[in-house]
Amino acid sequence: MDVESSESDLTSRVAEGDRAAEAELCRRLVPRIHLYGRRHLGSASAADDLVQLVLIKLIEALRAARLRDRDKLVQFVMGTCRLTVLDLRRTARRQDQLLQRYGADLVPATPPMPRMDDGQLARCIQALTDRERSVVVLTFYDERSAGEAARSLGLSDANVRVIRHRAIKALHACMGGSA
Amino acid sequence: MTTAARGACSDPIDRAILMDYWLALLPSTVEQAVDLHLLGCDACSDRLRETIALSESLSHVARSGELPVIVSDAFVRHAIAAGRQVREYAAMPGESVPCTVSADDDYLVARLGADLRGAGRVDLSLDMRGSEVGRLADIPVNAETGQVICQMSIGWSKAAPDNSVLMRLLSVDEAGAERMLGEYAFHHTRTIPGPPGWTFP
Repeated sequence: MDVESSESDLTSRVAEGDRAAEAELCRRLVPRIHLYGRRHLGSASAADDLVQLVLIKLIEALRAARLRDRDKLVQFVMGTCRLTVLDLRRTARRQDQLLQRYGADLVPATPPMPRMDDGQLARCIQALTDRERSVVVLTFYDERSAGEAARSLGLSDANVRVIRHRAIKALHACMGGSA
Repeated sequence: MTTAARGACSDPIDRAILMDYWLALLPSTVEQAVDLHLLGCDACSDRLRETIALSESLSHVARSGELPVIVSDAFVRHAIAAGRQVREYAAMPGESVPCTVSADDDYLVARLGADLRGAGRVDLSLDMRGSEVGRLADIPVNAETGQVICQMSIGWSKAAPDNSVLMRLLSVDEAGAERMLGEYAFHHTRTIPGPPGWTFP
C-alpha cells in the first residue's frame, strides 16, 4: 500500500472499490476520530464506539460514491462525528445494532497515550510562579470548575487565561516537550 | 489553519489552545475550527495526545495535596464533596493555633483572615526559629473574601516533628517596602510516629 497517497486520492480509490485504499484511509482516520470522541464523549470506550460508527458511515458513503467532492473528506468526517456524538448521547439502540453487525471488523487500533512522570511534573510545577501554580492547581483539580475556581482567587477571566497559557507552555518546556 | 495529514503541520495549533480545547474552554466557533483541523492533521493529533497526558498528570498532581499553593474556598468545598479528608485551621491576625495532621488526612489548609482591601502585591512568608524558610510571592488574593487559604504539603506535614511556624501576610509596594497584614502562629504537634531526630534544614 502506498502510504504516501493523499487522502483525497484514497477517497477516490475507495469509491472505485479499492479495499486496500479503504483500509489505509481507516488506519489514518482512527486515531483522529478517537481523539474527537475522547474530547466530546469523555471516555476512551465511548470514543472506541464513535470510531466504529463513523467509519461505518464513512465507508458506506464512499462505496456509494456519495461524497462528491473528494477534497471535503475531513469536513464530511467532522460532520459525521458531530451527528454521531449527538446520536450516542440520545440513544444507544442503533449503536448496538451497528456494532453487532460490523463491530468485529472495525476494532479501533489507536496509538497508546503518552505517559508523564508525575514526580518530574511536580518539580516543574514548583518552578512556576506562585500565581501560576495556584491557577494550574485550581484548573486541574476539578476541570469542570476551572473558570469558577480561578476567578475565586480574585483574577479576571482574561488574566486567568494568560496565566494558564504561560504556565502550560512553561510546563511543556520543563517536561522536555517542543513548543 | 491549514492541515498536513502526514508529517509536520504547516500551521500547528498552539499547545495552550490545545489545552483549552481539551478543557472545553474555547468558544464554540473556535472549538469547531480546532475539531476540523485535528481530524485532518496527524501532527496536531499527536500534540493533543501529549496535551491530554499532561492534563491527566496535572490533575493527579493537583489532587495529591503535596503542593504548597494558594487555593480557593471552592477548592476546599469540592475536595470535601469528593469525600477527601481536609484538615483546616483558621486564624485571625495575631492568633496562635495548635495543630496536627493524622494519617488519613488528604489535605492540610490554613485559612488566614486579613483585611486585604487596598493591598497590591501580597506575599506569604513562612518563618521558623526566627528566619524565613519560604515565601509565596505575589499570591492571588480576593479581597472580598477577607482571607487567604494556603494548602501546605500533606506529606511534609505528616513527617514533620513538633515545630512552630509563623506565617505572615505582607503587602509589598513597588519599591519593595513591606506592610504586615497579619501574623499567625501555628504550633504543630506530631501525632504520627516517625524517626527521631528529624530536623528542619
